[in-house]
Amino acid sequence: MSTVPLMRRVVITGMGAISPLGVGAEALWQGLREGRSAIGPLNHPDAARLRVKIAAQVPASFDPAANIDERILPMLDRTSEFALHAAREAITQSGLDFRQNGLGVRTAVVVGTGVGGETTQDEQSKRLYGENSQRAHPLTIVRLMTNASASQISIAYGLRGPTYAVASACASANHAIIQAAMMIRYGMADAAVTGGTEACITYGALRAWEAMRVLADDTCRPFSVNRRGLVLGEGAGIFVLESLEHAQARGATILAELAGSGMTADATDIVMPSADGAASAMRQALADAGLAPEDVDYINAHGTGTLANDVTESKAIRLAFGAHADRLAVSSTKSMHGHALGASGALELVAVVGALRDSVVPPTANLDKVDPACDLDYVPNVGREMPVRAALSNSFAFGGLNAVLALKRAP
Amino acid sequence: MTDTTQQQIFDLIAKQAKIDVATIKPESTLKDLGIASLEAIELIFDIEEHFNITFPDQQGANFDTDTTQSLVDAVQKALDDKAAAGEGSN
Repeated sequence: MSTVPLMRRVVITGMGAISPLGVGAEALWQGLREGRSAIGPLNHPDAARLRVKIAAQVPASFDPAANIDERILPMLDRTSEFALHAAREAITQSGLDFRQNGLGVRTAVVVGTGVGGETTQDEQSKRLYGENSQRAHPLTIVRLMTNASASQISIAYGLRGPTYAVASACASANHAIIQAAMMIRYGMADAAVTGGTEACITYGALRAWEAMRVLADDTCRPFSVNRRGLVLGEGAGIFVLESLEHAQARGATILAELAGSGMTADATDIVMPSADGAASAMRQALADAGLAPEDVDYINAHGTGTLANDVTESKAIRLAFGAHADRLAVSSTKSMHGHALGASGALELVAVVGALRDSVVPPTANLDKVDPACDLDYVPNVGREMPVRAALSNSFAFGGLNAVLALKRAP
Repeated sequence: MTDTTQQQIFDLIAKQAKIDVATIKPESTLKDLGIASLEAIELIFDIEEHFNITFPDQQGANFDTDTTQSLVDAVQKALDDKAAAGEGSN
């Protein structure tokens, strides 16, 4: 028999975000709690010839060059720009100095992204196939590789622990955060910088989404009977995780405890979700965190605003929570920050940390009339002041992949 | 004319569903014919490519529960609109 492995508690001590609601995790959280939607007309050079007319985009006021070494800038796809800025904010908030006591060697970097350097890919494809150029830009590879964001964070802060990217489409951020937490829990690292980043509002990606016929043409209305589909978003959310004892030993301000997680695969269909798969991930997350269903007050839903997701997710919550499902506040903040794909779980974790910290549940915006097939309390349109003791954050991906985080208030 | 359009669409459906074209009835839904959500979207793409038309965005979402006749009607309408618009490119 092997010995029981070391199991350490994991806490969040820093968070940063670049999102359609602006620069900074606070800008995102303030917007979400106030129910402000950042969905607007698509801002893209090819907008006139595209069918998709709306998106949730990082505002033009975001300055990628601010605080980034000018020698590094040319190496960055938009994905990495977002990630580096969010990481800087998170690390600054945590107060950690990775040069002290060899902490850099004991710090992991795990960043989720659905597709990686899509802007670079799109630009270079246009150049080669559209403009018949013979030459790709020499920094194409270092910009577009999926691990670029994780590596750039590692290099910028001297983080020498396990560093890699995680890709699971719309669940990438949650899968990445779980990987990072596991490493701290089992002693492979004392700290981690983790989250998700995505920037794929490109001509090619927009055309591909159009062809799939899942994009809304008005706005994102999760759980509303008049929903018309999802709205693409972009951005990054990055967090600093630490073992509880590490955070307490240095007197750090703890934002929340990442108490557990659940990961499952539906193993059924490449796009149609399964309530069973999602429910089992939620059950796992509860068990892993030592939570009973009654301990949970809030679920940040995957809530894409598609018929397939919203009905299935509502059923799954009922399967996992039983009678307590009627007492849960459930909201989809994608109604405001859009669907940032591989970054979405990270943007949503900002909302969950805010809810735990400030005792306010962000609403589901644009919820005109609840779909009769969705029978939970979706916190329509206006945030709700209420104590939040523990919360789940759901991410479900194309490919049938489910990753759920369980969070508790800071101990 | 309509028959020709219908025949072409039924041929595309038969190919996608891997079934005998004779088994397709105007009142069959794509679901009846075993064409699930993602295959329905793929069929819509095949039809758009074949007729060089573009369906409005939200229509696709319901094609798997609509009848093949409504699909034929939608294609005919798109073709008529294109003809009325003169030379419709894109």
